[in-house]
Amino acid sequence: MSIMEYNGGSVIAMVGKECVAIASDLRLGNQALGISSNFQKIFPMTDRIYLGLPGLATDVTTLRDTFRYRLNMYKIKEEREIEPETFAHLVSSTLYERRFGPWFIEPVMAGLEKTPSGAYKPFIAATDLIGCINFAKDFVVAGTASSKLFGVAEGLWEPDLEPEDLFETCAQTLLNAVDRDAYSGWGAEVYLITKDKVIKRTLKGRMD
Amino acid sequence: MDISFALTGKGYVIVAADTTAARSIVKMKVDEDKIKVLSPHLLMAYSGEPGDTVQFAEYIERNIRLYHIRNTYALRPPSAASWIRRSLADSLRSRRPYAVNLLVGGYDTSTHTPHLYWIDYLGTMSEVPFAAHGYGAYFALSLLDRYHDPEASVEEGLATLRRCLDEVAKRLVVTPEKYKVKIVDKDGVREVEI
Amino acid sequence: MARRYDSRTTIFSPEGRLYQIEYAMEAISHAGIVIGVLSKDGVVLAAEKKVTGKLLDMSGAKGQSYGGSGEKIFLLNSNVIGGVAGITADANSLINYARQAAQRHLYMYNEDIPVELLAQRLCDLKQGYTQYGGLRPFGVSLLYAGYDPHYQFQLYHSDPSGNYSGWKATCIGANNGTATSLLKQDYKEDISVADAIELVLKVMSKTMDSTTLGSEKRAYYLALRFVFRKRGAAQIADRETTVEFATLTLDAEKKPKAKIYNPAEIDALLHKHGLAKKDEEGSVAAPIPSDQTV
Repeated sequence: MSIMEYNGGSVIAMVGKECVAIASDLRLGNQALGISSNFQKIFPMTDRIYLGLPGLATDVTTLRDTFRYRLNMYKIKEEREIEPETFAHLVSSTLYERRFGPWFIEPVMAGLEKTPSGAYKPFIAATDLIGCINFAKDFVVAGTASSKLFGVAEGLWEPDLEPEDLFETCAQTLLNAVDRDAYSGWGAEVYLITKDKVIKRTLKGRMD
Repeated sequence: MDISFALTGKGYVIVAADTTAARSIVKMKVDEDKIKVLSPHLLMAYSGEPGDTVQFAEYIERNIRLYHIRNTYALRPPSAASWIRRSLADSLRSRRPYAVNLLVGGYDTSTHTPHLYWIDYLGTMSEVPFAAHGYGAYFALSLLDRYHDPEASVEEGLATLRRCLDEVAKRLVVTPEKYKVKIVDKDGVREVEI
Repeated sequence: MARRYDSRTTIFSPEGRLYQIEYAMEAISHAGIVIGVLSKDGVVLAAEKKVTGKLLDMSGAKGQSYGGSGEKIFLLNSNVIGGVAGITADANSLINYARQAAQRHLYMYNEDIPVELLAQRLCDLKQGYTQYGGLRPFGVSLLYAGYDPHYQFQLYHSDPSGNYSGWKATCIGANNGTATSLLKQDYKEDISVADAIELVLKVMSKTMDSTTLGSEKRAYYLALRFVFRKRGAAQIADRETTVEFATLTLDAEKKPKAKIYNPAEIDALLHKHGLAKKDEEGSVAAPIPSDQTV
């Protein structure tokens, strides 16, 4: 048994046309025993950046608190919100600080980046547990169902999906992947980030 | 191994823990109170590695009390639970971590809501409607899935707890003979016989 | 006598005084005034910023916004606004300390820091410099306007010695005596936040430095007119403000909402209270030297 599979849980993020989506399951377990069906793994970092933290549940909470501390200080000193790419490097360096005794988390992030012309560009990224960044152009996955997520996403995702189509693709990918994973599931939530609003939807899933 | 349960209801949290203190296969004591009253509206049931449990519980108890004395008001249940979790999470990555599992139940007098937190020795915390630690969890959680009602009265809550204790008595090989049960609500903490 | 006992912050004089602390407080009483008023549904802070001069390059400043990039009013945490009077460099250091302390509390307890606890954190630091030798104390007084679920809206004041106290209305900086007596006169127990804003503006206009020049009534218009014109002047110093202003109220979800006004919003506020308008009628349009500080 790996420590990364102790509590279970999965996250996926996808790029669409001027929008991004990030979704996770809601299970918290102790190996095979389910503890909670309402354990959030995705957290807002700014109005336009969301961070998913699948992995060891104690570190989910610790890292959420750490990033909140660091981003609040960033925001109050810089007087602006952090940009997604900068944030990705903050995540990376925060994890690499613990290179030889890591947080057991593989973060996934999704956001919209403001370009100099004033338009918004989709941004997704994921890192491993010591902070090696993967800047993807299509989708990123992590967690106990990551292998299944890769398979379904590979089949369903296509470029330039409109917001509602992206939501459906992302939600179906997650729901179908976690049904093949004993450690993920128990409901899900999806965040759809567009340039003028963020939509959060909570989904029912199989409760087994 | 210790068994503890907790469940919320309409304006209260019930916390129950067995009263056995054992070393290996020997029962050393059968009237041990494993539920601490941390502040006027906060309870904590603790279980885990003998030695660590009492040491950690007293550390928490005294620090929560110190905060109360310094500030004249006690920490509210969500803040107290977060601080306790933080203590365990810090301990986990120290040279000698505490191996203690907790159920923290409290009544928030400023929002008039009951809160229950499931916390394990790793510092995993989740706010839940009902919870259990130890072998009791394998029997009771499915029962609680079926019978728990967040709007139940204290009597109904205690009846649901009774079902859990009976199931453990019926199916678990090594079953504790006695439990201590405490309730926290708007009037504070009280102990009940079951 | 002072000469022999004021070289160290930690040495009592024979009369039982700590001269360095008193000097620090003296420094503060020359600083721009900060006024705070507590009401049942919010707290109001206003500060007078002494304009350094028209050659000061303000192009880098974004104007007060999220954290309060002015000189006098700052956001300390999402539920606390701070107003400072005294040595700016010392104040910046204390503000950073306060923000870190607030975030540390959020990290440990997952709740916004209670207002009094934040004041205590800063006072513990300030008190240290009255007892452990070798350094000078912080030449800063602060007002803390905040909200927490324990005591709702609160207003605190702390001084360089590390003393703090809670107030219904108070002020720090130059002319604080005049301002205090005005506040005493006009403060009502069940004042609303709208009335508190008006009270603060009124006391502000009567106690700013330039008011000492003329009659009280005339100066009242004069000061506000000047504030308004100075900011309205688009040429050199269009970003300069002479008044900083902030409120702390609750939003629709009963969460604390800190609002630090930007120059345009202060203008609008003055207009709304008819203070800027009266002036435009020209009754007191005496020539004002353009580099005069307000």
